[in-house]
Amino acid sequence: MSAHSDQVENVGAYALGALPDLEAQVFERHLMSCEECREELRRLNEAVEVLPGSVTPHEPPPSLKASLMGVVNAEAAPARSSRRLALRQLPRLRPALAWAAAACVLAAFAGYGASELARDEGGGERTLSAQIDEQRLAGGSASLSVPEDDGPGSVLLVSGLPDPGRGRAYQVWVERDGLIESAALFDVDAGGNGAAAVPQSLDDVSAVMVTREPRGGSGQPTEAPVLRVDV
Amino acid sequence: MIRKPFGTEDEGVNYARLADEELMQAVQGGDPMAFETIYDRHGGAAFSLAYRIVGTRSAAEDATQDAFLAIWRSRVRYQRDRGSVRNWILGIVHNRTIDALRRNQVHATRRAGAEGIEEREAASELTDVEVFRRDEQRRVRAAIETLPDAQVRVIELAYFGGFTHNQIAEMLDEPVGTVKGRMRLGLDKLRRELAGAMA
Repeated sequence: MSAHSDQVENVGAYALGALPDLEAQVFERHLMSCEECREELRRLNEAVEVLPGSVTPHEPPPSLKASLMGVVNAEAAPARSSRRLALRQLPRLRPALAWAAAACVLAAFAGYGASELARDEGGGERTLSAQIDEQRLAGGSASLSVPEDDGPGSVLLVSGLPDPGRGRAYQVWVERDGLIESAALFDVDAGGNGAAAVPQSLDDVSAVMVTREPRGGSGQPTEAPVLRVDV
Repeated sequence: MIRKPFGTEDEGVNYARLADEELMQAVQGGDPMAFETIYDRHGGAAFSLAYRIVGTRSAAEDATQDAFLAIWRSRVRYQRDRGSVRNWILGIVHNRTIDALRRNQVHATRRAGAEGIEEREAASELTDVEVFRRDEQRRVRAAIETLPDAQVRVIELAYFGGFTHNQIAEMLDEPVGTVKGRMRLGLDKLRRELAGAMA
């Protein structure tokens, strides 16, 4: 039998979470190369997603919400304080056209180091605050969620950022061993909110930075970074 | 529309009027009030699902709190283009509750519960949300009832019981291939029934 005919029978069990771990991993590898199974999984997931609706409704006790929000409010408070502190401490940057000049400006960031907003004890990730150039990104804020092992899958989340300008987009860069490489492009909505996934592993990466570049991206940064996260 | 940066509470924001996706943007910015609104909307469905899986109120409370804390702490992982907030939340609640079930090895106590859908308490006064959930329950159950019993059984044992296909095959004394086939056919039929009901 072909790999597909072996694996297609597993789609339903996988959708229901009923494949043992090893079989699930084999199936996931097959999915990467099989459009037919991906499509069937998408269809069957539609059915799985309605199953919670079949259960008898029960109301959770008020004490559950009180307990949950007690933890959430406690965790949110220091994060907000850290962000305000980081914003106050940031140096005022001047736009620069050359990356060499940008490097000098970046040195000014270095003394402040990364501010860790939160650490997910259960899920294995940490959240780092960004340092913002308040002149060019007034009112903006950003944070970087990093997997505990610094592997691929970091997410940069921004809010309150101004429009990057007509025909321009925000471009994400990573700095590794003194070299700069492009990581992602992103836009922001009317409220200045946006997100970008950083595909690279952050192992050996010293910083994640953002500049405003022509839509489509630049081969190298054309201005000093408007925000920076020291990893 | 929220104009202030997310993560700074704004007393002028009426969270109750925001769509789930807008609330999640605020949650991703670290706004606990937006998270509380998300909990108010979906906490009941989450608790009901956890209760169906673990079978006791205390275990369901633990599972629901654990899942919502995981949601809060991994909030940046939510991606709007990957589906609804509700499905994302209930998927996390399901996964973590099943994980807890497997860790605590309480399957034996749940096997009776896996015999069929249980009816328990009913609220005396129904809010709009509760009315919606009961309507949804009737619609989904009606679709499930069109499936052959053998297909319903393997789907429930897998989804609500947390059993693997091997365990189900052993419990039902059926070949593994038969169990997997029933899962696949049952889900496909359920999807088509619900699509037909919505048309």
